Amino acid sequence: MRAARWPVLVWVVLITGAFWFTATRLSVHSELGDLLPEGTTATQRLLLNQVRSGLAGRLMLLAIEGAQPDELARLSKALGDGLRGNAQIDFVGNGMQGLSPEERQVLFHSRYLLSPTVRAETFSIDSLHAALEQRLDDLRSPLAPMIKEYIPTDPTGEFIGILRSWSGWEAPAKHLGVWMSADRHRALMVVETRSAGFDADAQGAIQQDIQASFQRVLTESSLSARLLMSGPGVFAVEIQRTIEREVWWLSTTAATMVFLFLYASYRSLTLVLLSLIPLSSGILAGLVAVHSWFGFVHGITLGFGITLLGVVDDYPIHLFSHLTQKDSAQATMRAIWPTMRLGVLTTAIGFASLLLAGFPALAQLGLFALAGLGTAAVVTRWVLPVCVPAGFVPREIQSDLIGMMAQLSKAKVVVPVAVVLATIVLIWSDTPLWEEDLATISPVSEEKKQLDRQLRGELGAPDVRDLVVVEAATQEDLLQLSETMMPKLDRLQEAGVLAGYDLVSRYVPSRRVQRQRQQALPEPALLEDRLRDAVKGLPFAPGLFSPFIAGIETARSQPLVDRGSFHGTSLSLKIETLMMEHDGRWLAVAPLRGVVDRKGLKATVAGWGEAAVAYVDLKEESNRLMIEYRDRTVQLLGWGAVIIVVALGIGLKSLPQLWRVLVPIVAGLIVVTGIVNLSGESLSLFHVATLLLVIGLGFDYALFFNRAEDHPEERRRTVFGLLVCSATTILVFGLLAFSKIPVLHAIGLTAACGSFCCLLFAGILTEQDPHAA
Amino acid sequence: MSFGTIRISWLLPLCVLLLAGTVAGAAVESSPSHGDQSSNVWTVEQVVASLKEGREPSVSFEEATYSSLLTEPLMVRGVLRFTPPSTLEKEVLEPYRERYVIEGDRVTFESERKRVKKTISLEDYPALRSFVEAFRASFMGDAAQLKKVYETAVEGTSRQWTLLLRPHDQAGKAVVDYILFSGSEGHIGTIAIHAPDGDRSVMTIRRGPVK
Repeated sequence: MRAARWPVLVWVVLITGAFWFTATRLSVHSELGDLLPEGTTATQRLLLNQVRSGLAGRLMLLAIEGAQPDELARLSKALGDGLRGNAQIDFVGNGMQGLSPEERQVLFHSRYLLSPTVRAETFSIDSLHAALEQRLDDLRSPLAPMIKEYIPTDPTGEFIGILRSWSGWEAPAKHLGVWMSADRHRALMVVETRSAGFDADAQGAIQQDIQASFQRVLTESSLSARLLMSGPGVFAVEIQRTIEREVWWLSTTAATMVFLFLYASYRSLTLVLLSLIPLSSGILAGLVAVHSWFGFVHGITLGFGITLLGVVDDYPIHLFSHLTQKDSAQATMRAIWPTMRLGVLTTAIGFASLLLAGFPALAQLGLFALAGLGTAAVVTRWVLPVCVPAGFVPREIQSDLIGMMAQLSKAKVVVPVAVVLATIVLIWSDTPLWEEDLATISPVSEEKKQLDRQLRGELGAPDVRDLVVVEAATQEDLLQLSETMMPKLDRLQEAGVLAGYDLVSRYVPSRRVQRQRQQALPEPALLEDRLRDAVKGLPFAPGLFSPFIAGIETARSQPLVDRGSFHGTSLSLKIETLMMEHDGRWLAVAPLRGVVDRKGLKATVAGWGEAAVAYVDLKEESNRLMIEYRDRTVQLLGWGAVIIVVALGIGLKSLPQLWRVLVPIVAGLIVVTGIVNLSGESLSLFHVATLLLVIGLGFDYALFFNRAEDHPEERRRTVFGLLVCSATTILVFGLLAFSKIPVLHAIGLTAACGSFCCLLFAGILTEQDPHAA
Repeated sequence: MSFGTIRISWLLPLCVLLLAGTVAGAAVESSPSHGDQSSNVWTVEQVVASLKEGREPSVSFEEATYSSLLTEPLMVRGVLRFTPPSTLEKEVLEPYRERYVIEGDRVTFESERKRVKKTISLEDYPALRSFVEAFRASFMGDAAQLKKVYETAVEGTSRQWTLLLRPHDQAGKAVVDYILFSGSEGHIGTIAIHAPDGDRSVMTIRRGPVK
């Protein structure tokens, strides 16, 4: 007896250590980006990079509504001014933003390198004459006070030309200087956050800041209005909040229900508390293992992992159900251990396939579940029995379970009928078996998505999904290649295939083009001669254009512009999002607006015959990525199944036994899949992962049902234990099935139905104990 | 409409004068009593008040721009139109065709020669705002607001008067040194806008039917 206590001591020491580690060291991340894989192809890596930190993810759309247009304009200006001082915000657009004097200076100084209209013809006598006539028009126009200072230095209008070519998109209409919707019910703004859209914590803080600024502005102006926010960051925060809220109330309710149910079943508080020991040990072990291996634990791993570990709650229940006055807890444990061990082993093989899938999110989950499962099994075997008070026996079960089992086993036909029905559903259903569209599992409400589409349309902001990607070995190659793409994209825009695009070569010309422009600039003497002819008949003051001649002379030998020339300006930020170094290659990413026919566009871009230029539909790519991982997981599961069958065959040493254990589980999986499909859902990665739990539960049930027991009393205890196990599982997951979050609902429905089907089928197909009659 | 919220209200007088131009004909005919009071001194209040009395749908104008960049003034001719309730239009007919249609804060600019048509917000183009302000003043007749934004000085008699406006604030002074209206009775003859750098534009309003 004394000797058996040492495992408890070891356990106390380890669990204290794990608890301390968890409390002090554990870092729980919530950034979804951390769970994304690296990607196997260059396109996938780029896509994931964009998803993690790209501009589209960092763009937040704001709208102020609920006041008069003039008031909305005032609020927009005040809010914009307030937000521009926020260190977490890179850029605020509300129509008021212009180039700063320093930025204008950079552009003006390099106008002959940057302007797309600089060619040799620009400086012919005829062109100069036409340009000068236009400057006379400018002087006569109401805008003259703003333009006239540029006339002596830039009579060909290159600076204005640069500004015009840079306004790549049709900005929304303005009212009192700020962007407003066409009906003037909403003032529109865009905000570029510094942190990634997936970083829900940082995004949440920024959104709070924005709301606080808005409230301040409202108070100062004593107006009343509403602020609407949308965009990936807003969605991320909403998703996180919804999940946290739902998980909290669901898990609280579920825990309470399980607690009450266990108490009702065994009428012993001690027992209920003891049943928590394996599960809590398993959770701690899982946390320590995941943190040691990955360096952090993701919030999703935590939530979903504990769900998967629900299977270990069955282990203490088996022990308690088999406790009798005759034997000590240790002896009882030793008796049921071979069966339990086989169940643990087969479940572990299933979980291992998650570990190998190569998807960080699933790998964390797999490791967590494996470590937790092993620990819980060990704790149940060697620690729990010692903790059970001597002579402790749960109340006697009075119901005629054995009789019920006998009745049940007469209904063997139920199993094939259910399987056939499920198969028919799966074959002829209109609902596809596999979910191919990630969007349907997004918990963001349709209303919010609608608002996002509306604001995006009104603002003309790029969709998150369409990109043209250009790739090259060097910056210069990249810019040259991008330059050749511009006329092609322009043609697509004219043809209405897309509404607009933004490409880095619009802002930074290649060195080759800049040199061509420099060579197109005439020598001072020549320019002076031509200008003298060009100005004939026009009333310009003599000598007015000497700054122009000097400017051209400077430009002929001035250093070329590159990305660095814009350092420290808002243009630099823009250029960084459009062009980047990745894996030693240079990439230009051109966001597209208003793409209608994606297939057509893909074919068109492919038809250009440039291997280094591709159209990427981010949505399609991310779906494909998910599908790839799902297929790989399913494939691994298949191999896992083979290994499980072999392990079971060795463990059970009997083919008929193996058959009786396997059939209920296979039948259960088919029927669950049928039920999920019948309820109008297609299988996603989350369903697949939950099916693993079902397999684990199923083995547990089937092995215990088919355990060789020589006493009807013993058998009754087994059946009662299994009923309690299954009932707790159905309680917890049945509750999850009512969640409004698609992922939680999927897990809940699958696991609850799975537990029920596996128990039912295993019960029906089990070989009745000869003593039972 | 919260007029007071507009930051650069110095343009008000400019509008006033333009507006005065558009209503001049009507004002003279509809208030013949002015003619009898030829010895009376005109005040800002009277100029502004006359704007409210009636509107001529359109008048023609001739505008001359004098600049240090030029050896001779540039001339533009065209028509100013007002369409109730709130649309003001400046159409240039010679030497090229160009149109500015102003409605509230929105300005639609159309140029045949530059082949452009675009809509902008007045807030972004302070130089254009004068037209809108004028237009708004015609509704409000708010001489007090005018005085708040400008230093005003009226000289002469109702037969021959001038109204001098100098912006109070720095933003206004950066673009406009002073604006000088001159007129007779209820009719404004010219509007001269002097920029701080010495450039100026002079708009002459012509009475009589527009072709």
